[in-house]
Formats: sequence, C-alpha cells, structure tokens
Amino acid sequence: MTSQTGSGEPAISCRNVWQVFGPNAKTKLADALAKAGGDSDAAARDLRDQGLIPAVQDATFDVHPGELFVIMGLSGSGKSTIVRCISQLLQATGGEILIEGENLVDASKARLIELRRRKLGMVFQHFGLFPHMTVTENVAFPLKMQGQGKAERMKRALEVIDLVGLKGREDSFPREMSGGQRQRVGIARSLAVNPDIWFLDEPFSALDPLIRRQLQDEFINIQATLKKSIVFITHDIAEALKIADRIAIMRDGKIVQIGTPTEIVLKPVDDYVREFSKDVVKGRHAKVASVMKPAEGVNSSGPGLRQDMTLEAALASCISHYDPVPVLCGEGHVVGVVDPADLAAALQAEET
Amino acid sequence: MIADSELPTARGGIALSTGATAALIALLTGAVCIALTPLVPWLVKFPDAWALPAAEWIGISLTWFLDLIKPAMRVFSALMAYPMDSANTLFTGMPWPLMIGFVTALGWYIGGLPMAALGLVGLGFVLATGYWLEGMATLALVAVSVPLALFMGAAIGILANEFPRFKSAIQTVLDVMQTVPTFAYLTPLLFLFGFGPVVGLIASAIYAAPPMARNMILGLERVESDIKEAAVMSGGTRLQQLFLIEIPSAKTQIMVGVNQCLMAALSMVIIAAVIGGFKDIGWEVLLTMRKAYFGPSLMAGMVIVIFAMIIDRYSSKLASDRIRHSLRVAVAIAMIGVIVAVASWQSLPDPSAITLLDPVSDWLDAGLTGFLRENGAGLDGLKNGAMFYGLLPLKIGLDGAVLPFTWGFQWTGGMSTALYATAAAAGLALALRGKATLGIVLVIVVGIIETGLAELPWPFVLVGAGAIGWVSGGRKLATFAVVMLALVLFSGLWERALLSLYMSGAAVFTCAIVGGGIGLLCAVSPLAWRFVLPICDMLQTIPLFVFLIPVLMFFQIGEFSAFLAICLYAIVPMIRYTRHGLINTPEEMIEAAVSSGATEWQTMVEVRAPYAAPTILLGLNQTILYAFAMLVIAALIGTTGLGQSIYGALAQADVGLGIASGAAMAILALVADRLVQGFAEERRQALGL
Repeated sequence: MTSQTGSGEPAISCRNVWQVFGPNAKTKLADALAKAGGDSDAAARDLRDQGLIPAVQDATFDVHPGELFVIMGLSGSGKSTIVRCISQLLQATGGEILIEGENLVDASKARLIELRRRKLGMVFQHFGLFPHMTVTENVAFPLKMQGQGKAERMKRALEVIDLVGLKGREDSFPREMSGGQRQRVGIARSLAVNPDIWFLDEPFSALDPLIRRQLQDEFINIQATLKKSIVFITHDIAEALKIADRIAIMRDGKIVQIGTPTEIVLKPVDDYVREFSKDVVKGRHAKVASVMKPAEGVNSSGPGLRQDMTLEAALASCISHYDPVPVLCGEGHVVGVVDPADLAAALQAEET
Repeated sequence: MIADSELPTARGGIALSTGATAALIALLTGAVCIALTPLVPWLVKFPDAWALPAAEWIGISLTWFLDLIKPAMRVFSALMAYPMDSANTLFTGMPWPLMIGFVTALGWYIGGLPMAALGLVGLGFVLATGYWLEGMATLALVAVSVPLALFMGAAIGILANEFPRFKSAIQTVLDVMQTVPTFAYLTPLLFLFGFGPVVGLIASAIYAAPPMARNMILGLERVESDIKEAAVMSGGTRLQQLFLIEIPSAKTQIMVGVNQCLMAALSMVIIAAVIGGFKDIGWEVLLTMRKAYFGPSLMAGMVIVIFAMIIDRYSSKLASDRIRHSLRVAVAIAMIGVIVAVASWQSLPDPSAITLLDPVSDWLDAGLTGFLRENGAGLDGLKNGAMFYGLLPLKIGLDGAVLPFTWGFQWTGGMSTALYATAAAAGLALALRGKATLGIVLVIVVGIIETGLAELPWPFVLVGAGAIGWVSGGRKLATFAVVMLALVLFSGLWERALLSLYMSGAAVFTCAIVGGGIGLLCAVSPLAWRFVLPICDMLQTIPLFVFLIPVLMFFQIGEFSAFLAICLYAIVPMIRYTRHGLINTPEEMIEAAVSSGATEWQTMVEVRAPYAAPTILLGLNQTILYAFAMLVIAALIGTTGLGQSIYGALAQADVGLGIASGAAMAILALVADRLVQGFAEERRQALGL
C-alpha cells in the first residue's frame, strides 16, 4: 500500500466544508464567516456562542484515486459527520464536495440516487443490515435498486458473498449471525455495485479485538486487489496506522493534521496528536525513508537496510554500527544513508 | 404527591421549598374561601349566571357545521352500507362449521396447537350459547371497521414520519383523541349518519385508528439510523426506502399497533351498541342487563370476552412470533370444516336455535337469585358501609355525610373546629421536624375530607391544580392546568366535573392503594404473580362494557356498582407498573445494597422503591386515564357527573352538550395526565434515567 500522490483529478475533494447544526444554520454560518473575515476558528467560536453546533469546521482535503484515506478522532470530533457530508446523507452547510470533479452540493435528488446506485458504497458501524432480508437479499438490495433482474443480481451477490468469505451462509438472516459475520455482509453489500468510492464508518469498532484484527487483514487484502478510493473512519490509532495511506486527525470538528502514518507518529503538530500516538510503538510504524539522508558516495556494503523497513527493524540490524549506514531501494541500489543515532533519536523524539 | 418533590435544600420551616410554598398557597386559598363562605357564597358555588353557555354555543356552531357536511356524509354512509351489508351477509350467512374450520386453521398456522384449540373451543362455546348470529354480526362490523382504521392509522403515522414539522401536532391530536371518552364520539356521528350500524362502524374506525398511528410513528422512529442510511446509500428512492426497508424493519412495532387497533375496534363496536339498530352481541348484553336477566347477560358477555381473547391472542402471536406452523395442517383443518359444512348442508341446525347452554344460564340465574337471597344483607351491608363511610363523606364531606341516621351522631361546627385544630397541630409538629410540605398537605387533605370533593370552593381547586402543576412541571404546566380548568369552570359544567372528579378520584385512590399493594406482593412473591398475571391479562382483554355485568349482578344500579366497575378496570396498570418497577432494579444496585448489609425489606424500601418511583407514577397515570375512560361507560349503571351528561346527550341527540361534556372530561383527564407525567419526569431526571 504505497502512498499515491497521483496526478490528475482527485477522487474526492472537500473544499471548506462546514456542517453546522441548529436553526438557520446556513445564514448564521455565512454571517459568522463574514464577520470573522475568513478566520474559521473565530467563526466557529461565534457560532458556538449563539448556541449552534459546528460539527465540521472548514474541512479541506483531497482523496486520490485508489487512496485509503483515514479520518480519525475521538467520539464527537465530527468524523462521522464529515463522512455523512461527503456521502450526502447530510447536506453540508457550507463549502464544496466534489466527487471526480462533480460538485455534489448542487446535485439534484435524482442525480444523487443515480450516484449511489453506481458509484458509492458505504459500510456502517452497526452494520445497518435489513432484518427482514436474508444475506443474499441484503447484498443484492443495491442491485435491485439499480433495476437489475433477479438472476443477474443473485449471481453478482453470490460473487461478493464469496469474496467476503460467507459462502454457505447465503440464506441466513442477520439475527442468526455473529457481529463479525454481519459486518462481512455489510461489506459485501457495499461492494455489490462495484463502487469506485467506498465509505467505511467505523466498520470494525463494534467487533471484539480478535475478530477486528482478522477483518482488518482481510480488508487490506480486498483493497489490495480492488484499489477503491476509500474514506475510512476510526477512533483507533493502531487501526489507522495499520491500514492508512494518509490520515486526517480531527478534533472538535476541525482537521488538525493530515499526513502519512509516519508523519503522524514522528511529527505530530500538537499535543493532541502527540497524545494519540503516545502509546504507539513508533518503531513499528515509521519507515527508514523518513530519517534517510542523501547518499554521498558510500558503497553498498553494510547491514542491508531497505527504505521500506520499519525503524525498529532497522535499528535492530545496525545496532553495532556508529557510522552512517547505506539504505537500498527495492532493486538494491543505494538511495541514501541513515545515521544509527538518528534512528535512535527518531524513536525517542516523543519523549522530550 | 407534593411531599415527593421536596427539595433537599428545605431547612425546617424557614426556607420553604417549592413544594411547601405551593402547598401553603393552596392551603391559604382554601382557608380564605371557607372563612368567607358565609359572606360571599359565590366563592364556593360558581354562579350559573357567570358561566358561558358553552354547550349551547358548541351545539349551534357544530350543528351548523354538521348540517353543512351532512349530505356528503349521508352519501358516504350509503356507500359504507355496501361493504357492511356484504360483510354481515358473509359472516352471518356462512355455515358455522366453515367459520369454525377457518378460524381454527388460521390459529394453527399462526400459533400451532394452543391457538387452534383456543379458536375451536372458543367458537364452539359461542355456538353453544345460541348467540352465534349476534356474535357474527359484531365480527362483521369489526371486519369492516378494522381495515378502515388500519389504513387511516398507517397513513397518519407515515405522514407524521415524513413531515416532522407536523409530528408534534399530530401526536397532540392523537393524545386528545384517546382521552375523549368513547360515548362523546357517538353523538355527533349519530347526528351525521342517523341511527344505524354505520355510526358504530365509523366510531370504531375513528377510535381504533390512533393506536395504529402511534405505533406506526414509534416503529418508524425506532428503525436504527444505520439501517435507514444503508437504504439511502443503496440508492433507493424515498418511497423505496419507506416501503422496502423502513416499514418492514418496523414490523414488530406495527403489529403491536394492529393488535391494539383490533382490540379498540372491538371495544368500540360493542359500546356503540347502545345506540342500537343492529342485532349484535353488545345490544344483547345491554338488553338482558336492562331486563336483569343475568344468566343470559353473562353468557353474552362471555361471548364478547371470547372474541376479544381470540383476536388478542392471534394478533399478538402474529406480532411476536416469526415461526409459522405447517400450512398443510392448516389447510387440512380448513378442509374438514368445508367437508362438514357441505355434508350437513341441509341438516345444519339453525345456530340461533342451539340452546345447549341455556340450562347453565338458567342455573346461573337461579344460583344468583339464591345467593342474593341468602347473602343480600351482607352485600347490602358492604355496599352501604362503603357508601356511608367512604364514598359519601368523600363526595359531600364529613359535615354533610355524618348524620344520626348512619353514623349515629350529627356533625357539628364544633367538631369541624376540633378536627381542624388537631390537623393544624399535627401539621405544625411535622413542620417543626423539617417536613413542612407534608404537614401542610396533611392539613389540606383533612380540609378536603371535611368539605367534600364535590363541594370544594372553585378558587381552591384552580389554585390547588396550579400549585401541583408548578411543583411538577414549572410555570408552564401550572398555567396549562389553571387555564384548562378555568375553561371547564366557565363552560357551566363545573359541578358535574367535580362529581366526575370525586368518582374517579375515589376509584384511583383505591386502585393506587390496593393495586400498589398487589404489585408489591407480586414483586416479592413470584408465586403470587403467577396467579395475578392471567387475571391482569384477562381484565385488560375484556371490553369495558362487560365489566358492568358482574357488578350489576351483585350490587344493582348505583354509585357503588359504578365505583367497583371503574376499580376493576383501572387497577390493572397500577399492579403491572408497580411490579415492573420494583422488579427491574438493576442487579448491581441490589448487590450493592445486599453487600452493605441491607435486609430484603430494607433493600425494598431504600433501593427498589425509589428507583421504581417513575415507573409507578406512570402506572398511576395509566390508572387515572383508565378510570376516566370507564367513568363514562359506568354512567350506564349509575354515576352522576359528566359521564351521565354525555350519555344523556346521546339519548337526546344533543350535540352541544355531548361535545362540551366530552371535552370537559378530556380536559380533566389531560390535566391529570400532565400533572402526573410531570412528577414522573421530575423523578426520572432526579435519578438520571
């Protein structure tokens, strides 16, 4: 899962998105923004003083095609709200939301239904399975909405059910299944129409830890083959670091930092972010590349560090070295050097 | 009640809590009124000249309006006659083996052997009583009114769900519709549709729609948001979301609505029999009751109970169970019915001529006569005792009820003074011990008993209701209570309203004590609950009307019979909620109490009871509403007050009086409901629930 900086149009693009709850939110937001002269913090304070709730404040970010973008924060930080804005389950109070260049804020109802039938898929924290339908009927429901014939949609439903490993449970009802199995159904249903864009709202939070890890691994495998553009919501930093290409950290409705897992761990912008990554074993998430310096004529002999090794592994293999150690890329060329002292320092960086 | 809300900040008699202040104001108002009575008599009795002729005004404007829509309604009535006549022909004309076969088959399909047996034995009994045709006529009315009610209820529920702006308004209307007494519906309908079964049909459809609408709203509200959002994200249109996902997901709750709708429709169809014109089972009960043929009356009542049980158990089984039983067995059972019907086509005995149970009915009648002859004195003693020493003093006060004839001495002014002095001393003692509210309330209660509920000064009632409202729900509720009661005061129905208040007050008080006691007993002893539960189920299934039969049998017409009938009906929620509240204390709290060394009784008093208070208050609230509902029905056998006015208005087709009295009754019920709910809410918040 390499980070995709990808050229061209982003899959999802949020521009100054606000979601404000309360009476007359739209006009009040416009007033507050005008008064604050574009200072979003001041505008948000103003709105709060008036008794409104700015659940999402001035969010701007892009999700590139094929990227797994994780939004992470504590409960009440606005992460679930923002994914509902993007999927248009909520109408954003202000800003623009573009999906492959099309502004959804202006989209008609019919167009939204069309998009949901073809392009968007969503997985919910509490699964949202229809209790009166079997597994197959649940999975085939979005296809039914598309207007596909019964034989056709059953065929596709069985394919996705197989993909999530539920073969043999096709005729079960949701109430007869465990939490992990239910979420597999939820995942299968969201993939049935083969959407380009996939929203997952805390999909594994309601599951117990062992099942959660198993589903995370399977999810990574599925994504490796499908390459969807994903917005993934979680409150679990370990989960975010494990799966993300990039992470956005939210606090009180505001995005405080966007970065790769390494950046989040090694260069937190403030104490809030630092607090999150405190309990994370940094060496397991940061890569050698993040502390590498340009190579200046060193030969390729050494302990054989690679740039995609974790800091922990790298430190273990050059523990006896004091001089800069060469780092190799995938093909075995030297791409830079790493000072073992820097490696150790990076791991300690948070303690200071 | 006021003592419940005493604030922890109350310190002795100096800093008065809200409750104590409110009680004191009410007390002072009452005292001033009593003191000034000789000088200004209008303080006690609201002068008729001040009242507005509300009944007349309502009558005139409503009659004008009803006249306006009458032609359209008559057309509608003529149209409704077709489905009704067909249903009637179908139900009464169908050979009875066929009907029994179908019902038994349906029972098997939805609930297996127990339900099939219920259907078979139940309808078998109906056949044996000889009331088959009357029973089927009633069922035919239900069969037409229920689809109407279901459709209206579902439509209202869906509308409320789709347009949240109207939701609270719709819910208020539903609230009011359920508190307006059943008879009050009938008068304007009678005016619109003329005598005949159509009135019963429409009344029952109107009466049965609100429970369906309520459950529809509740069910749709409770669909998990994840499920709703999944439907949106699947690309469903709003209609697809609603009909393919949300309504099927809410099925359980909606089926509860169907069950309640069916029961309400049956109940109303039977009540509507009082206007006559349709040879149905309710009419039969009324007829036999009027002639004091208690054997047949009891039989006809049993037929109604059996219908209610079959409908209730079938439809609640439908709501709770997903498992369906073998369709093949069901079809086989139905086929047996068909075969018997065909085989005996010519030789089927006329169901009306079946008199299998007539001996039982005669025996019952004879037994009852014998029983009454032997125990008449005892029953009369019970009745008179309750009347002279309980109901009457409550109604007209000790000063009016204590006579040499009954109590053996005459109440004098001196006794009043002595009573007040004692009460005041006791109240003061309580106040000095830091229980000011309780002390004042004690004095007020003594004052009410001395004066009598029906003779309370009106300023005191208004201020008292306002004070209770203030304590239970703040200024808004206080205003609501006072304004609503003032409406009744100015409508000229005040005296009758006080009489109704006395009757329901006596019944509610009795139910609270007895029902609370039984609930407590059932909470302590599962064995007792095993006996009480089926009785409660039974009492709640029986249509209101049937309660009148047994009390009439033993106590004849009169206030005491009415009082008993109300108690029988209204006690059930008190028992259920009390037990439920006491039983459902979280296990951890009980473990904490036990590990602190509390005895079982201490756990009950210190932990379970306070935790159950909001639930018990809700039970009391239900009991109050039940009592008001029954009060109107009890007018048939002897209550004075608003119920009697409503019933009288029905007989004279006086739309104004009927509606005004119905509205007054609804106002009393609504005010009581809000006041008690306020206390329940306050308790819930205090417990952080």
